[in-house]
Amino acid sequence: MNHLENFLSWSTLSFEIVVCGFVFVRKVHRILPFFALYTCVILASTVGVWLTYTISGYTSLTSYYAYWGSVLLNAATRSLAIVELCRYGLRAYRGIWALAWYVLTTVSILLLAHAAIDTWGQPDKVAIYGATLDRDLAFASLVILAVLFVFRKYYAIPLETPQRGIAAGICFICAFDVVMSTILRNVYAGYLFDWFLESEKARWPALRAQFLRVNDIWSAFHLFFFMFGMGIWCFALRKPVPMPAESPVLLPAEVYREMSPAINMRLATFNDRMTELLKP
Amino acid sequence: MTDLTIVVLLAVSLSALLLWLLIPRIQSSKTTAMQIPSTVNEALAAAKHYGYFPQIRQALSAGDTKYLRETAPRHVAKQALRERRAVALRFLEGLHEDFSNLLTLGRVIAALSPEVSREQETERLILSLKFQMLYVLVWLRLSSGSLPLEQLEHLTGLVGRLATRMNEAITEISARSMGQLSRSVDA
Repeated sequence: MNHLENFLSWSTLSFEIVVCGFVFVRKVHRILPFFALYTCVILASTVGVWLTYTISGYTSLTSYYAYWGSVLLNAATRSLAIVELCRYGLRAYRGIWALAWYVLTTVSILLLAHAAIDTWGQPDKVAIYGATLDRDLAFASLVILAVLFVFRKYYAIPLETPQRGIAAGICFICAFDVVMSTILRNVYAGYLFDWFLESEKARWPALRAQFLRVNDIWSAFHLFFFMFGMGIWCFALRKPVPMPAESPVLLPAEVYREMSPAINMRLATFNDRMTELLKP
Repeated sequence: MTDLTIVVLLAVSLSALLLWLLIPRIQSSKTTAMQIPSTVNEALAAAKHYGYFPQIRQALSAGDTKYLRETAPRHVAKQALRERRAVALRFLEGLHEDFSNLLTLGRVIAALSPEVSREQETERLILSLKFQMLYVLVWLRLSSGSLPLEQLEHLTGLVGRLATRMNEAITEISARSMGQLSRSVDA
């Protein structure tokens, strides 16, 4: 690791500790337990990977597996935190939650299936698998969050400010993961692919410098933007997190059954008249 | 386009959409689903623009146009027609607001309902998208002067009837929700 990476690693670790501190001081674990778990997993995996680097060396095979393992573990816990955000506050609106659950589940299944198929089609190398899966999961997270917020906006069910900040942090990290993992995957599967082939062992010494350089640049960007994402969470959690709002008083089911078709019928008539206006 | 370009563009557009959705509106006057009991009165004002329908109808009537063209000097008639068109445009904006209020009412009812029909919600979404498109087209035609003002009469008549029905419906909802609230308090 170079000086910049060292500095960024220590700064990221400090931010992770601060975020974990905020999560427990603000009692976020009572409201969003999976987000609390996600922040703890981030901290634990950073410490774990750092210990592996120290014990086995930065370029060892153990460190390589430890790093990619931690990336996928983070992606998995992040997915849980996103599911929790989807569920948060929307569950009290039973009708809308049933609809949202249906839409979000359909979107998730499609995106996860795409991620699995896309990863399956990659060359049989851990780094390429890892980068592809990380990219596809981050992309799926972005789409799911976008669908969730469109849904909330459409039905005028806003999210509280701290939760919005948490979602913004996750979005930022995911967006950057998509871009960076795509670049890394393309480099690995492109001009650095020989590095992964036993048959090209003779070229490894020549490729080593390039491989390390790509890793250094990627790590520096990754750490910098990850730290920024942590900063968004710190900002979101700077104030106490309010307890979830009381469940709304729902209307009798008949109101919707009677009103909704009537409203739709009127809206349709309205559109018909607008269409008539446009006829020559 | 390469794989990288597509992914980067998609990620950037999604992030922009999310940012727009996440930024709180400072002076948001939109109804939230939790506010229905307190906004019934505001909702009662839905389709308020139809109240100006008689005046607008008079201003846009073919008789008025004919009279102006026959009696007023040419430049005065021209200016009057231009102003009438501006009034018609503002009225169209008002009708858009009425439509949006009605749509919001539909969404709020859906949000507060214990069960929601997928078909009904999809239909409403499609209707609102269609309306947005039609509104833009009518606005463009009205602005360019290629739409006779008299045709707006049909639309305003419809909104008037719609508003009357909505007022009745909202009063009914208000009564039911207040009844349920008092039952919850009693319990």
